[in-house]
Amino acid sequence: MPKLMSIEDFKKLQEDSRRSIRMRMKTGTRIIVGMGTCGIAAGARETLQAIVAELQRREIDAHVTTVGCIGMCASEPLVDIEQAEGSRITYGPVKPHMIPRLIEEHLINGRVVTEWVVGRLGKD
Amino acid sequence: MAEALLRSNVMICEGTGCAASQARDVIVALKGEIHRRGLDEEIRVVQTGCRGFCAMGPVVMIYPDGIFYCQIKPEDVPHLVEETLLKGRIVERLAYREPLSHRAIPHYSEIPFYTKQKRIALRNCGMIDPEDIREYIARDGYAALAKVLGEMSPQQVLAEVKASGLRGRGGAGFPTGLKWEFTSRSPGQPKYVVCNADEGDPGAFMDRSIIEGDPHSLLEGMAIAGYAIGARQGFVYCRAEYPLAVKRLHVAIDQARALGLLGENILGSGFSFDLAVKEGAGAFVCGEETALLASIEGRRGEPRPRPPFPAVSGLWGKPTNLNNVKSYAMTPQIILNGADWFAGIGSPQSPGTAIFALTGKVRNTGLVEVPMGITLGEIIYDIGGGIIGDRQFKAVQTGGPLGGCIPPQFLNVKVDFDSLREVGAVMGSGGMIVVDEDTCMVEFAKFFLTFATAESCGKCVPCRAGGKRMLEILSRICAGQGRREDLAAIRAIAEGMEQAALCALGQLTPGPVMAALRYFEREFIAHIEDKRCPAGSCKELAPARCLNACPAGVDVPTYVSLAAEGRFAEALAVHRERNPFAMICGRVCPAFCEQRCRRGDIDAPVGIRAIKRFMADHEAAAPWFPAGPRPARSEKVAVIGSGPAGLTAALRLAQAGFPVTVFEALPVPGGMMAVGIPAYRLPREVLNREIEHIRQAGVQIVCNRALGRDFRLEDLFDREGFKAVIVAIGAHRGLRLGIPGEETTGVVNGTDFLRDVALGRAPSIRGQRVAVIGGGNVAVDAARTAWRLGASEVHIVYRRTRQDMPAYPEEIEAAREEGITFHFLSAPVRVLGPESVTALEIQPQRLSEFDATGRRRPVPVKTGPQTLAVDVVIPAIGQEPDKACVLEAGLETNRDSTLKVGDSLATTRAGVFAAGDAVSGPASVIEAVAQGNRAAREVDLYLSTGTLAKVAIPLETRLPPLTWNMEEHSETPRLLTALSPVAERADSFAEVELPAQEAQIRAECRRCLRCDLEWGQQRRQTPAMSTPDAHAQAL
Repeated sequence: MPKLMSIEDFKKLQEDSRRSIRMRMKTGTRIIVGMGTCGIAAGARETLQAIVAELQRREIDAHVTTVGCIGMCASEPLVDIEQAEGSRITYGPVKPHMIPRLIEEHLINGRVVTEWVVGRLGKD
Repeated sequence: MAEALLRSNVMICEGTGCAASQARDVIVALKGEIHRRGLDEEIRVVQTGCRGFCAMGPVVMIYPDGIFYCQIKPEDVPHLVEETLLKGRIVERLAYREPLSHRAIPHYSEIPFYTKQKRIALRNCGMIDPEDIREYIARDGYAALAKVLGEMSPQQVLAEVKASGLRGRGGAGFPTGLKWEFTSRSPGQPKYVVCNADEGDPGAFMDRSIIEGDPHSLLEGMAIAGYAIGARQGFVYCRAEYPLAVKRLHVAIDQARALGLLGENILGSGFSFDLAVKEGAGAFVCGEETALLASIEGRRGEPRPRPPFPAVSGLWGKPTNLNNVKSYAMTPQIILNGADWFAGIGSPQSPGTAIFALTGKVRNTGLVEVPMGITLGEIIYDIGGGIIGDRQFKAVQTGGPLGGCIPPQFLNVKVDFDSLREVGAVMGSGGMIVVDEDTCMVEFAKFFLTFATAESCGKCVPCRAGGKRMLEILSRICAGQGRREDLAAIRAIAEGMEQAALCALGQLTPGPVMAALRYFEREFIAHIEDKRCPAGSCKELAPARCLNACPAGVDVPTYVSLAAEGRFAEALAVHRERNPFAMICGRVCPAFCEQRCRRGDIDAPVGIRAIKRFMADHEAAAPWFPAGPRPARSEKVAVIGSGPAGLTAALRLAQAGFPVTVFEALPVPGGMMAVGIPAYRLPREVLNREIEHIRQAGVQIVCNRALGRDFRLEDLFDREGFKAVIVAIGAHRGLRLGIPGEETTGVVNGTDFLRDVALGRAPSIRGQRVAVIGGGNVAVDAARTAWRLGASEVHIVYRRTRQDMPAYPEEIEAAREEGITFHFLSAPVRVLGPESVTALEIQPQRLSEFDATGRRRPVPVKTGPQTLAVDVVIPAIGQEPDKACVLEAGLETNRDSTLKVGDSLATTRAGVFAAGDAVSGPASVIEAVAQGNRAAREVDLYLSTGTLAKVAIPLETRLPPLTWNMEEHSETPRLLTALSPVAERADSFAEVELPAQEAQIRAECRRCLRCDLEWGQQRRQTPAMSTPDAHAQAL
């Protein structure tokens, strides 16, 4: 990215960034893994590896990203699934062995795995 | 996107899932239609891999508009091309709609953990990738800096921050805007902006989470501060123990520099500002500002006297603004949303939000951000979900190792800088550690003191020497070697440190100890004088938690271990050394031992009560002649009352050789065991057999002799020659409701009702509707008894909730099984008559603020009272001793009518002692037994030496060897008590709890973790600290 030389440059980058995030959210599948120290201590790295492996196995092209701690440290590792501008559903605690079912039911079959759900973020 | 020439990219998923649902046909149709319309040069169709929308496929995504269509069929294509690609309109029918199943899931705002939170500084944590600056920018990141540089002067920024009322979130709460202004006004260049990210408090991780989750908010805040103050260089002092935070800081700074948001001439404004990271080197004291600055300068982290304050003379003698991470992180939001917005949140003197790291024994541990002014109870119960296992909340430590503990009576205190200070507590940086009844407050204070003294820099004597000496004293207390003068010594050292230490570390080190002393002095005294640790945590004093929790100190690990081997007679003998009523307690004891059992931390506690019952029943046929030592004593002792306290005291005195006579007012002996506890819980044969053992020790029991009615205390001394008297008359008078209509026929007090049933004169209530008022065991006993007498309906009316009921959970459950209806949050207001009861008027309640016990207080709701049609009302809201006969005897009472006694259980009249419910108020059999044990020793001492002194009964355990393999029983679930079927219980007072089998019981014994062996070993390994010299040598 080139250096911003003025406030106008900044505003343009702001707009671009917003648009690209919107794009990603509206048209893609986002899988979000909490990767603060609480998450890592609870095993989020292993969960992330399991997610990447499962997506590869099924040849699914989803955007996997990591975020900091959202505050519910006791429920880590937290994994959010967000699809096409829908709500973002938080699952937790998510261990590696739970990933295949999550991907299968939520992504492939469009059904939320209610027994693992923590909550929902979205336009409300 | 490289395809800048094309107007639109249309992406179609061609993964396996979508391919299976005709994606190929859609692609063909799409390409065909675009070609037909001549749009080939403008629009590109791209086949992508699976995006994971298989259930909604085939999906079509249109860039750059970001339109998402799902479940597209080939027939939809022409319309789609026409409307969206040509006319730019969205076809609603094809657009993504969130499935209802998603909407049914609670939104975060509805989750109790989040409902009361307001995330300002934490708004991006968990929402953005902290290592991607564009995500920060997309969520208004750096917009505040741009606004400040483009539209505001430094003076305006200072004014805005001042107007917001933001107070330093490091803990001291100094107005941030004012601090910036001082630094701005101080002469000297260059100026510096420094961030304190040392966060040394154990249990605090607020700053860490912000840096790990949203580092740019800190950078932006510091840049804004630099602009306002006139500084061009900043330092973030981050502790090295946060490697992830340090890494993310570096990544963030690099990304900001690359974009030109840090460095020279930011956004062409002429303002230059850059940041460096300095890692801490492991010293807690470097969280203190002057020590921190020294550390940045490369010197040893030691504080210096202030003034001059860093704002005037800081880093390298130059004006330096030092703030906490959270203070900087909130600044961009204040700039964007305005000072009024911020000032409108929280309390007037403490505006905005505060971040707390909620840890310890709460259900929902984690990081919360709440408006200032929320109450402590809301944080712990509403957000934190209350205490794990529904245990008792004991205290919450705020302000870390330099703060203090706050007990339940302050649950309604608003959490902000000033309200907490008023109750002698500190808000600090935001760490909140919640502890429950299993935590020893002495050990808790010692933990923080150990930490603080280890972190003392050593520069000034009060902290360096004072902390160490105070820790020695506390260590001795925890090891059972406390002395009377220790508390005064602690207070003196504390005062010296508070007055004379050089910095906040030394001044506040005594804080946790003094707070613990202020609210939990009795625990300190128990350690020092009784050599007991009530929480069961100090291993030198508590051989095992079960044994320690038993009021009578019964050696649980030993008898459980013997029972495991089938040696029931020996086990029973061990039990009887402390509690003669094994058969009774095996049926009715509240089992404090089980509540504290460490096995309970794993799956479920060991079924100690069931084991006790089995071993006692097993030996029921074997007679017990509790013999005492010889020679016999000549002094006669009288005991008034044949409840568990009186009988136990009589037994112990008889075992010591004294001739004892017990006087009982009722026709039958046993006290509450006979006339309070119903037969279906405690069969009469069992009770009578246990009482017979007491007689076999040589105790005389005379019934139908009541104090006041049949004799006076003087008679015992003067006429009958007793040398000492123990008054153990219990608490048999039911408290009155104090509502109109209480005198109506049909209102029977709970204790009177149960007594009448026990004495064979049960009132005739068959077919009648009964309402019992209360939530304790007496209420449930009365209700279950009424049901057995044939009442057509039985109701329990309780003014709080089910969780608040003091009755045993198994009793409540059994009552439910027997068809008793519970009415919670219902307070009785009137009994309707007039000749006999026709109904009970009930006012529904709701829970409001917390009271001193940590429970929410019920208050009436606005809607009016309801009527419950009943024929009998049984109030069971508590009991008290019969004051009348006691006052007549010239004994003083307390306000609640219990007898006034000293440490030695001596009353206000010479030679007269007291024990049991008459002293403690309504309690349990085992607590009365414990008092009986004590009273006997006190009387023995008094009669032997003529003196009164508190006789300690030390805890003992025999440490029998381990005879089973613990691994084999690590997964065994707790034995469930079998109960008789409900159908068989109606009209019957037969025992409800069914006996277990020997194999089951012996297996249950082997679930025990033998904490006594583990802790006994530790006690042997740690040499006792007997003298200060020994301690010094050990160091």
